[in-house]
Amino acid sequence: MSRRDAGADTAVNRLPVIVGVGMTKFAAERLDASARDLMAEAVLALLADAGMSDLKAVQHGLCSYESDHFNKQMTLAAILHDTLGLIPTPTVRVEGGGATGALALRTAWAYVQSGLCDSILVYGCETNGRGVSSQTANQLFALSADFDWEMMIGGTYTGFYAAMMRAHMHRYGTTPDQFAHVAARNRRNAGFNPLAQKPMDLTIDDVLASRMVADPYRLLDCSLLSDGAAAVLLATEDWARAHSPRFRTRPTVAYVATGCGTDTMRLGDRYPEMTNFRAKQAAAEQSYRMAGIRTPLEEIDVAELYDSYSGVEIQAVEDLGFVPHGQGGAAIAGGLFDLGGALPVNTSGGLLGRGAPVGATGIAQAIEIALQLWGEADSRRQVPNARRGLTDTHAGIATISVVNIFERRD
Amino acid sequence: MAEVTSRKDIQTVSSGDGDPWAAFRQIERLTLSLTQHYTHTLGKYSRFFIELEQKRFLATRCESCGRVCAPPRPLCPNCLQPTHWVELTGAGTVETYSVLHFSPGSNADVAALTTPYVLAYVLLDGASTLFPHLLRAEPEQVTIGMRVRIAYVDGPVEHPIHLMHFIPME
Repeated sequence: MSRRDAGADTAVNRLPVIVGVGMTKFAAERLDASARDLMAEAVLALLADAGMSDLKAVQHGLCSYESDHFNKQMTLAAILHDTLGLIPTPTVRVEGGGATGALALRTAWAYVQSGLCDSILVYGCETNGRGVSSQTANQLFALSADFDWEMMIGGTYTGFYAAMMRAHMHRYGTTPDQFAHVAARNRRNAGFNPLAQKPMDLTIDDVLASRMVADPYRLLDCSLLSDGAAAVLLATEDWARAHSPRFRTRPTVAYVATGCGTDTMRLGDRYPEMTNFRAKQAAAEQSYRMAGIRTPLEEIDVAELYDSYSGVEIQAVEDLGFVPHGQGGAAIAGGLFDLGGALPVNTSGGLLGRGAPVGATGIAQAIEIALQLWGEADSRRQVPNARRGLTDTHAGIATISVVNIFERRD
Repeated sequence: MAEVTSRKDIQTVSSGDGDPWAAFRQIERLTLSLTQHYTHTLGKYSRFFIELEQKRFLATRCESCGRVCAPPRPLCPNCLQPTHWVELTGAGTVETYSVLHFSPGSNADVAALTTPYVLAYVLLDGASTLFPHLLRAEPEQVTIGMRVRIAYVDGPVEHPIHLMHFIPME
């Protein structure tokens, strides 16, 4: 047997499955909880979900958080590892801006596939809520822009995203009421998710009447700053069967594919491509190839998309190949991605309604997909017979983009 | 009586019957600030900023691929070769923009901006990339495709990137 064949065999047998999930309710402010309190809360929820009493059999930790500034703590990974009683098992911290949680899962996928461990706890948290003023929050986020060329001129991510959407509107005729549809729908979906931060029942006119923040984006087009934590336990199927009673009674959800793409840090360096996310296109292509997907709109049943701003979801459905470029706005306004539509997205409420504590965001997206594939989501947001789900997560203006795909196997 | 100068408040958060955390529900919060001061080197970008003081706008050009980068790239990412400096006229075209209605106050120069202000991505004549900067114009005046030019200022400024901005071409 050639070495390559051996690797292929190993890959099939070692495909990670989701053993259990847990998260806190996301909140604008958890005045009663530090990062470590939040993380403990999410992991205790995970243990209950997996029907496990402790983490003693777990072989590896993987910590997901973005910001030493927001959390006021460096080497937070070591502290959380200690808090969770994972010592002396190995650990690693993964950071990739807004994509941190999804990149953490992708890294864990490789750790299990490689045989480095049979089980790995991916745990992430962030305290992006009211611990700092929104101006300080904008400054801290702007630190992840290019310091001398973008941050120092008064640039903010809100502004960079807005400039991209301005270009999209100019090229394709996309309109504010089309992205207002996303702002209203995702916050409505959040109403069916008890762990969501800010459900709202809004009309498109309500969104269009909110104050302008960075033209063309208005206040209700912007996602939330959140305190929260989320955790997923990944393992080989053998490990899961041996250690989690709950796993044995649930449909198996496997983490079947992952893709990652990158793009220039500065938007201006991407000229002449100013409307869409090349990194997302690359991540999608890789993950579709790995999962054997040719027609994503037909072959994917549910997706969590990175709606950092409402219009970003329009760009995402195009870059993920759900609809051709330039048709995202009309498809979204037509309800294609609503509950009951062809491919419901952001059933959790998304970053707009569920919230976005950065290090936990990508993990919370995977949790929503797991609940959907297990058939355990609230009946008002459950997608009937969902078999395959996708998460889309990115850093910056899709400077790093990660797509993860999960399948129900029964 | 003990005194904690940074104390914001002490409060007890709600907990139902049988709360396993009942003994941990009294919460104290502090108001703290962390201030850092840096010596920030502009590194190989330095000449760009020094020339701005002389009202000259420099970009970099790669001899191998011919790409002209503004902002400059000392190392061409395509060829991994050192680039060299070229001067641009400072005229250009708005390719996209946003009107910002809040200032993050990232430094003294930004804190002094009046809102709304225009963040424009400009294709400078002779460049291959877009240069982002403030466009001092009435927001309603700004359109994709409008011609603009660099205006130089003497300051005082905190960060030398503010020795320039864009204004509409007369």
